[in-house]
Amino acid sequence: MATDKHEHLETVLETHRMTHVQNLVDKFKEKRNEVKQALANHYGSDIYYPFDSGSFKKHTAINTKFDLDVVVPFKKDSFDTLDKMFDSLNDFLDDEYGEIATIRKQKVSIGIIFDEDDDGDVINLDIVPGRELNKDQYSADNKLNLFVYSKYGLFSSSTYIQTNIQAQIDHIKAKENERKIIRLLKIWNNNDGKEYKSFLLELFTIKAFDKEDISGNIWEKLEKVMEYIKDNATKDGFKLIDPGNSNNDLMDTLESWGKTNLSNRMETIIERINSNSDNIKSYFPTNKDFEDDDKSSSSVGYGIKTGGTAYSTPPKNERFG
Amino acid sequence: MEFLDDVTKLISDIPFVEKVYDFVEEDLLIKGKVTISFKELSTPLEFVVEVYKCYPLKNYDSDSIKFKNLNLLEYRHVMGDGAICIHTSHHTNLKSKLNYDFHSLKNWIVKYFINKDQDDHYEHIIVDEKLINNQYRSFLFTDIEYSFEKGEFGDVTITALQNGGFRGDSISNHIVQSFIRRSGEQLDCQWSNLYKNMGISYTGAYLFIERPPANFGKFIFTKWSDLLDHLPKAFLNFLLEFQKKFIKERGKLFPVFFGYKIDEVNIHWQVALLEIGGFPIIGYQLPNKEWITTPRNELDINWGITRNSSYKYFFGRGSFSQNFIEKKILIIGVGAIGSMVAKTLTRCGCKFIDIADYDIKEPENVCRSEYQFNTGLMDKTEELKIILGTISPFVETSIIEKDYFQGIIKLYHKEKGAKSNFENSLNQYDLVFDCTTDNDLMYILDSLKIKCDLTNLSITNFAKELVCAFYPNIYTFAMNQFMNVLENDTTDLYKPTGCWSPTFKASYNDISLLVQMAIKHIHNLYETGSRKNNFIIESDSSTLKIVEY
Repeated sequence: MATDKHEHLETVLETHRMTHVQNLVDKFKEKRNEVKQALANHYGSDIYYPFDSGSFKKHTAINTKFDLDVVVPFKKDSFDTLDKMFDSLNDFLDDEYGEIATIRKQKVSIGIIFDEDDDGDVINLDIVPGRELNKDQYSADNKLNLFVYSKYGLFSSSTYIQTNIQAQIDHIKAKENERKIIRLLKIWNNNDGKEYKSFLLELFTIKAFDKEDISGNIWEKLEKVMEYIKDNATKDGFKLIDPGNSNNDLMDTLESWGKTNLSNRMETIIERINSNSDNIKSYFPTNKDFEDDDKSSSSVGYGIKTGGTAYSTPPKNERFG
Repeated sequence: MEFLDDVTKLISDIPFVEKVYDFVEEDLLIKGKVTISFKELSTPLEFVVEVYKCYPLKNYDSDSIKFKNLNLLEYRHVMGDGAICIHTSHHTNLKSKLNYDFHSLKNWIVKYFINKDQDDHYEHIIVDEKLINNQYRSFLFTDIEYSFEKGEFGDVTITALQNGGFRGDSISNHIVQSFIRRSGEQLDCQWSNLYKNMGISYTGAYLFIERPPANFGKFIFTKWSDLLDHLPKAFLNFLLEFQKKFIKERGKLFPVFFGYKIDEVNIHWQVALLEIGGFPIIGYQLPNKEWITTPRNELDINWGITRNSSYKYFFGRGSFSQNFIEKKILIIGVGAIGSMVAKTLTRCGCKFIDIADYDIKEPENVCRSEYQFNTGLMDKTEELKIILGTISPFVETSIIEKDYFQGIIKLYHKEKGAKSNFENSLNQYDLVFDCTTDNDLMYILDSLKIKCDLTNLSITNFAKELVCAFYPNIYTFAMNQFMNVLENDTTDLYKPTGCWSPTFKASYNDISLLVQMAIKHIHNLYETGSRKNNFIIESDSSTLKIVEY
């Protein structure tokens, strides 16, 4: 039986809602607040109070893979150089949490991966240090300079990047349609090798809504956004400008083959789903942990009703070899 | 007489054949002489021509016309009986075939006799493979990590392989295990551990002579006198001492390997088989009590058969890419698909293939897998390890604890820290094939954070489709394909008598066709560096189609 694509995608979004993992989210938030407070205590007047960013703040988080981001805005005079700021934060976090977590330098942040707790949960926080661009102007212009950790490829020759994280957050504000598509693309990306940055997919989606007539039901919107990505990913001169820094084009983060791959992936996905609507489940899976039994046992899932046919006949999902 | 007349008449018509004479008919052939003359040839050349009666068809795999001249032995591509080695095109028309063959002869004269061309391609020296004490004897060798110096000698250890039939007689086959220098240093041949661990059957000796033991660089020496200049006194004394020590084993054969360079990098070995008690040497004691040893030059050398079976020769005719063959591979589940994957990777030159399965091979598994009947009931992994080892002397195969994947991982995967242990054990490999068709295992493996490449293979009933999924998008994809997208008919299964364990219906041919295509596609993805998209192979009676996702 053919899959109702719209209905399926609604289920996908529903089963990936953060509210399903509220207890875990609470644990994350508790840890985040603890770290924020520790940072405030340690750095005192050298920083403005740390604030939240990332997918939680943008309401684009999905419950299968998430972390919490905290931005630490340092004052202009706090450190001579950005690398000293970066190292100082790394050292502080290592001293503070090194025995109960793995602390690692990432591209523009310090990652804290707390050891698995008794429930088997692992809490990830990304702490992004930034130094205000203009002395005492941060509260007014939100502009920060981020240190770029040098082992990362494209930025290997650069040591800093200017950004405005608040502008990035504002860019997606009150765009519920876009958020749904971003969440779906993140679910796909998460399931398909995590090759693309969420921020790239986010900017692609917002630009598609901005440039094209993206309307209809959720599948129709998603299909149009994917068409837009397919058509533009390899186009010469196509840019995805970071709302936090007009000099930062996210398309530059993709190599030529990466752009081709992305375009090809979109084309294949659209083609396969349109040739057989059941294929939508391969690319946009529900989160089985939060699918209600009635739905999962229909053609949508692999549950008891379809799996448990007559006891003497193996189920249809019996694979052979 | 008709054939004789036709052939001589047609040969006479060939422009550069000056003279055709003395042709007579014998039982199986006609034989005569020709004189070849053309502008570039300063002096006409004479050849004995033998034309077998099957001509213009080939005699077995050889041309059924021979051009012989024993005065040309020093030139390239001339055999010991003076026959010029030519390979010409197939033709069924007598006139056309004679024209082709005489033109080939003319081309040889121009290239090798007049221009004295040397080929880039090395050709082994010609050894008359003959019976020694009513048996052929072969010795297979492979590379070692050592450069021999001219004149160095020592012991050789040898392991017997299976005896068999060879050209209508029996043959005993062996592998060379190691060369032991006079200092005691052991230089092991680079066989897999399976072969290295086989017992030593007997020993021989080696002498590195650097240059081929051959006349004209291609005809192996026939008398010990030919070898005289290559045999250091110390080596002759060594042989003498050996013979004295083992004289009680009189009559036994003792192999002596003569090594030489075939180019700047590679060496080759020929083996002479000496009979204890009849070594071709004589020892004399001088008045000062010193012993000298000299060869008995008049004796023939009994050459055995050697083959260079090193990796690059063994897989020279076709293998997977260098990058792929070096991968450390694990195959979980070695039923029909898994055993075919293992065997194919082995035949394609892969060097490290570990296997895991808890199951037993039953007689009814044999018809559509790579197992054999003559081993009866056996652990699949035990038998497959032997099979892989019998195919390639370069594949290392370990058997993973049989309960690990389908028992231990399932029992403990929820426990704290367990996942990282499983991840570490998988990350020892570059490439893991899950061919278990175990949905639970597929679910767990797909949920791990692994660095190795994980590939999942399974098929639908009747082998209508093969589903190949790559980590990290395995579980969702495979389940959706089987549940919703493909028509996996599980109502019509084969139900073995006496047990409730229905299985799919498909023949070896059905399954292996899909598996071979899947492996070809996977290898191609690695070779080209392409993105590994999940794929389905759809088959019907006449086509196979890969659909990428």
